[in-house]
Amino acid sequence: MIPCKPIGKKLTLTLLSVFVFSFVYVSAQDIAAGKAIFMGKCASCHQIGKNGTGPALAGLEERHKWADHNELLKWINNPAGYMKNDPYTQGLLAEYKSMMTGFSDITLKDVDDLVAYINDADAKAKAGPSTTTTTGEPEKGNSNAIIFGVISLILAIIALILMQVNSNLKKMSDDAEGISRPEQVPFYKNKIYIAMMALIFFAVAGYYFSKAAIGLGRQTDYAPVQPIYYSHKVHAGINQISCLYCHGSAWDSKHAAIPAVNICMNCHKSINEYVKGPKLYDEAGNEINGTAEIAKLYKAAGFDPAKPNDWDPSKAKPIEWVKIHNLPDHVYFNHSQHIRAGKVQCQSCHGEVTAMDEVKQVSELSMGWCINCHRETKVDFNYSDSTGNKFYSIYEKFHNDIKNHKMDSVSVKDIGGLECQKCHY
Amino acid sequence: MKKIWIITGCMALMAVMVSCNNTRRNPGRAYMPDMAYSRAYETYSSTENLKEKGIYYTSMPVEGTLARGDMAGYSLKNDSSGYVQSAAIKSPLSADSIDLKEAERLYLINCAICHGTKLDGNGPLWNNGDGPYPVAPRNLITDPITANMAEGTMFHSVTYGRNSMGSYAAQLTTKQRWEVVAYIKSKQGSASAAKPAADTATAVTPK
Repeated sequence: MIPCKPIGKKLTLTLLSVFVFSFVYVSAQDIAAGKAIFMGKCASCHQIGKNGTGPALAGLEERHKWADHNELLKWINNPAGYMKNDPYTQGLLAEYKSMMTGFSDITLKDVDDLVAYINDADAKAKAGPSTTTTTGEPEKGNSNAIIFGVISLILAIIALILMQVNSNLKKMSDDAEGISRPEQVPFYKNKIYIAMMALIFFAVAGYYFSKAAIGLGRQTDYAPVQPIYYSHKVHAGINQISCLYCHGSAWDSKHAAIPAVNICMNCHKSINEYVKGPKLYDEAGNEINGTAEIAKLYKAAGFDPAKPNDWDPSKAKPIEWVKIHNLPDHVYFNHSQHIRAGKVQCQSCHGEVTAMDEVKQVSELSMGWCINCHRETKVDFNYSDSTGNKFYSIYEKFHNDIKNHKMDSVSVKDIGGLECQKCHY
Repeated sequence: MKKIWIITGCMALMAVMVSCNNTRRNPGRAYMPDMAYSRAYETYSSTENLKEKGIYYTSMPVEGTLARGDMAGYSLKNDSSGYVQSAAIKSPLSADSIDLKEAERLYLINCAICHGTKLDGNGPLWNNGDGPYPVAPRNLITDPITANMAEGTMFHSVTYGRNSMGSYAAQLTTKQRWEVVAYIKSKQGSASAAKPAADTATAVTPK
């Protein structure tokens, strides 16, 4: 055992980096050429460090006869022909269940470059985790509130002490000068004090009471704990996945449905670890292990990342996500009507979901909030060309008024957006 | 003695206010919720009773059933012989009935995330190898496998998934899948027809 661990770690690190650097120095061009071939021809099925559609390529020279690049070349040029009298590759086909595509245009030099790139990428990947030591502390949002609270408490105590000192000094001076005043009424028996305190109490209590009463049935800022820590920021923000990729039913139905497990698995069949994105934290500042969260998805999907080809989607169990945006049953709301006919952006009501790790309800979804938007939103009244909505051709009077400059635009309220029966029936 | 009580009370109040978290974890209460919660089955209402019977919403539709408004189903099976046979299948949509703008919208939502807005196999999930996706999506224009792929085979792959790609039958209806295939084929056609002026292919895309 090495008694002093940090030095040992550093030593291996420098050794590794020297190893990597010497490699790069010797064959930087070959590696670049190998990378180009790998990305163009191999990367659709093979990864360096992990099995996918095809086996991982790291350490491939230690397997079978691949140390001899001529053998490797024969296999790549004509997999079907090579396999006929080679039990090892037959076993690979049985394991991965899909036949490798042949690349007859690959030359021996290409194979050398490819292997150089694979070894280099593998060495870099192995050296990678020990070199990255970036840690970011999550920001504490309410530290200002604490500071202000402490300051006002201290000031209040000082004021109390000063008042006490003041009255004591007055008493002392009165005693010294021989003036006798009537005994002071303590402040909690003083009627003016009591009346004022009562007034303040009723004002404050009334404010909070009415606020709480208005808030009944409203869920602004509601952010329930979900069964899986799913970050919309990572998916819709950083990776730019369209909202409609997962919530596609918002386009043609009442609900923006929560996706079924198979839609998650479209990508997570291959993406089985969270390494490239920013660090994730829960509300208490604890770090979230993204890879462990993906494992929860695999558990629900019944997916074994070691055997991706054996997965049976019909065995998947639904994940019980918690619905955040709830309208009472006596309100009718239709997503497709708003985003397709009304061309409203998702963000108008749901806020900047692309910046939220945990989604919370941004709008209050109250009736006043709905009505306000119906009053202000202008309708795209064009119906004549292909981008327009032919339905609006029935509003002849409005079209005439616009033509005669009697009105400049039509809002939702003009075409029935304030009718009770639009939403309550 | 009294003062100590007041001070401890203040401290306790402060502690409570400070420890209050900003994250709201419960939905709150409704006032007289007579009409707030649906009696009828609503989307996302509990399906515990169905679960007992082994029915999950992730199940496949019963064979031979058709979604309302969708076109007739696709009969080939998800196996290697079905994949080979699919090459002979022709799109049931006539060329002039396809709304390419709608097809492009569908492509951009469902496919471009991997295969790229320019069909170059470099969507945000791959991003020249810097994205989270571990394997390179196919370049739909230049890769000989996809460039020469029959439209039936392409439809088969979108329906059942192929290699790392998953099935899109849950996200796109039969008609929409044929539309997306038609969009890819039209892009491939204009790319091969106008090789010298390759930029014209992307210039016609509406904003």
